[in-house]
Amino acid sequence: MTTYTLSIFTTNTIGLLNRITIIFTRRRLNIESLTVCETERKGVSRFTIVIRHEDRDAVEKLVRQIRKVVDVLAVFGYLDHEIVFNEIALFKIATPLGGTPLDIKEINLDWNAKVVHWGLDYVVIEKNGTEVEIAEFYQYIKNWDILEYLKSGRVAVGKTEKGLVEYLPESDWETV
Amino acid sequence: MANTQTMTAGVIAPKTEKFLTGAQAIMESLVAQGVDTIFGYPGGAIMPTYDALYDYQDQLKHILVRHEQGAGHAAQGYARMTNRAGVAMVTSGPGATNLMTPIADAMLDSTPMVCLVGQVKSNLLGTDAFQECDIIGVSMPITKWNYQVVDANEIPEIMAKAFYLAESGRPGPVLIDITRTAQTDLMTKPFKYDKHVELVSYRPRLIPKTSHLEAAAKLINAAKKPYIFAGHGVLISQAQEELDAFLRKTGIPVATTLLGMSCVPFEHPNYVGWLGMHGNYGANVLTDECDLVIAVGMRFDDRVTGDLSKFITQAKVVHIEIDPAEINKNVKANAPVVGDAKEALKALLPLVNQANHTEWRDTFKKYDEEEFEKITTRDVYHDGDKIRMGEAVTMLSKKTNGNAVTVTDVGQHQMVTNRYYQYNTWNSLVTSGGAGTMGFALPAAFGAKVGAPDREVIAIIGDGGFQMTIQELGTIAQSGLPVKIIILNNNFLGMVRQWQQLFFEKRYSFVELQNPDFIAISKGFGIDGHKVEDRAELSASLDKLLASDKPYLLEIVCEKEENVFPMVPAGGSVAMIRLE
Repeated sequence: MTTYTLSIFTTNTIGLLNRITIIFTRRRLNIESLTVCETERKGVSRFTIVIRHEDRDAVEKLVRQIRKVVDVLAVFGYLDHEIVFNEIALFKIATPLGGTPLDIKEINLDWNAKVVHWGLDYVVIEKNGTEVEIAEFYQYIKNWDILEYLKSGRVAVGKTEKGLVEYLPESDWETV
Repeated sequence: MANTQTMTAGVIAPKTEKFLTGAQAIMESLVAQGVDTIFGYPGGAIMPTYDALYDYQDQLKHILVRHEQGAGHAAQGYARMTNRAGVAMVTSGPGATNLMTPIADAMLDSTPMVCLVGQVKSNLLGTDAFQECDIIGVSMPITKWNYQVVDANEIPEIMAKAFYLAESGRPGPVLIDITRTAQTDLMTKPFKYDKHVELVSYRPRLIPKTSHLEAAAKLINAAKKPYIFAGHGVLISQAQEELDAFLRKTGIPVATTLLGMSCVPFEHPNYVGWLGMHGNYGANVLTDECDLVIAVGMRFDDRVTGDLSKFITQAKVVHIEIDPAEINKNVKANAPVVGDAKEALKALLPLVNQANHTEWRDTFKKYDEEEFEKITTRDVYHDGDKIRMGEAVTMLSKKTNGNAVTVTDVGQHQMVTNRYYQYNTWNSLVTSGGAGTMGFALPAAFGAKVGAPDREVIAIIGDGGFQMTIQELGTIAQSGLPVKIIILNNNFLGMVRQWQQLFFEKRYSFVELQNPDFIAISKGFGIDGHKVEDRAELSASLDKLLASDKPYLLEIVCEKEENVFPMVPAGGSVAMIRLE
């Protein structure tokens, strides 16, 4: 299984998320993670979709089908070594009276994570990093009582000299 | 005070411009687009638009069908004849869902179609209102583009975009879901329609890249046994002259796909037949012997390729195709040429060498002889009492000199028509290929006749499919257009029966039909017709059908358990094609 990160640039249109995801559904492809945001170009959205697949050929076919959607501007597919990527995880950890205290210094310095909210008897820790780094941190922090854990989809930028928006079809793009 | 202000405003503006309602804007858009015909069916959510249509009857011909599916297929038939988007207009909910089959069909067969669909009022969206259906969601996977209009001001722009998307690039169906509010609201700006649409995210490439053309020409010039597969794209791009010039210069044999049928006349010296499951023997078998395939506007459908792992593995492939997603989808292309078939063939012509490939073309003839011996003689020149489908179509082909438009449904009669009708005129077959929609032919034939009133249009339908959209006899009768209808009746769902015979040990599971009296039904609708069972009367019967200046139905009672051959067993390689 190889991980592929697809960066999809689209016009900002209602329903487009659906139009893109049905292309995956129809081919029984599971989306590992999905992030949508606006870009530095006005009216352009960026989808970052992560999938795992054995067959590069099938991924290329998928990319061509996504490109075919009328409101899609451009699609780029990447392997992990071609991109810089991160996810954000939030951990809500119980800190009851009498419990083992958290080692904030270790969390900060060794794990590169930080407490972003101090509750009465819990804290919220934010950990940024790759899936692997977050999973490792999970193993460490589960020594305490995890009340809630969740993480975002991947965001990724290509290790290219130019920004990907430079490769969009020519138009009078306005920067945000 | 308020009153005074309003009145003053009225006085100051010398002639207040009267803005259109959304419904009127739809009508104006259709007129500005050059649409002449709408196939439709009214209902609650589209009523404001039908009310506006009342005032546009002198500019827009509306044809009232009997079921929304009929509107869709008629729009498809119209589009296939005119190469312009067919327009279907229906109401929300069930009206719209009834249109889904034609839309899916048009998507697979790249048929341009604009569907105008009513929707509940904007404030009722998402409330499970009467006749509300999320038609944007439902139609998303089967449309090239769809859009919900909630603001009357958007209408001209969206209509222009819809026609542009439906007709350009690889054509397809587009659906516009128009809320009742958007139809009744007044626009707040003057109506302006601009047919010229530019979309930054959609720029289909028409002219191929020079590097693509050069790579293709190199392969073509080096090939010893090149073979052209001509598909629907040739017809859509109107590449009649370009293909002919290319064939004459290069001498390369050409076969067509089902939907490419009639893009090369039957009599053309380079024509070697049609490809695929029930295609010609030589045309299929020799895919195994060629060293280069030049695929033009076709998508290597599984009905053409059979087992992909065994299909043209020895050959190199030049793939001329406007839709980049088709390149390398099923068959890897050594030289992809992304672009319009017409432009590509025109640009390739000066790059390819003069050749004739006579010997290679003659190879096909040997197979033709065997096929004629084993199949054609049995189908057409037999001694039996019962009429066979092949002889009926052969006779029809001769009587019309291969110049009629045949519109077929799906099943044995469809394959037999392709096999035995010898097309001599460009763009003469309308059929449901990709989707295989039974019930397609009757409404599509009607739409084709509306689109090409000067051509003889003959619907050839099986007794099963005919009963799926039989109500459209009413539409045909009301229009008075002389659509000719032939039912090849074998009292069976013949193709399924054939498969059950060959692959399911003759376990005939629910394929026999107890049919109604088709002639009585037809006459009930006001369409004259008759039934023929006797072989001796077949010729006179066809004459009567063809001579009629009104719609006419001819029921031909055929041999019950006839099989269509050649046949590539599903999933098998094309070389395994069976002659019996």
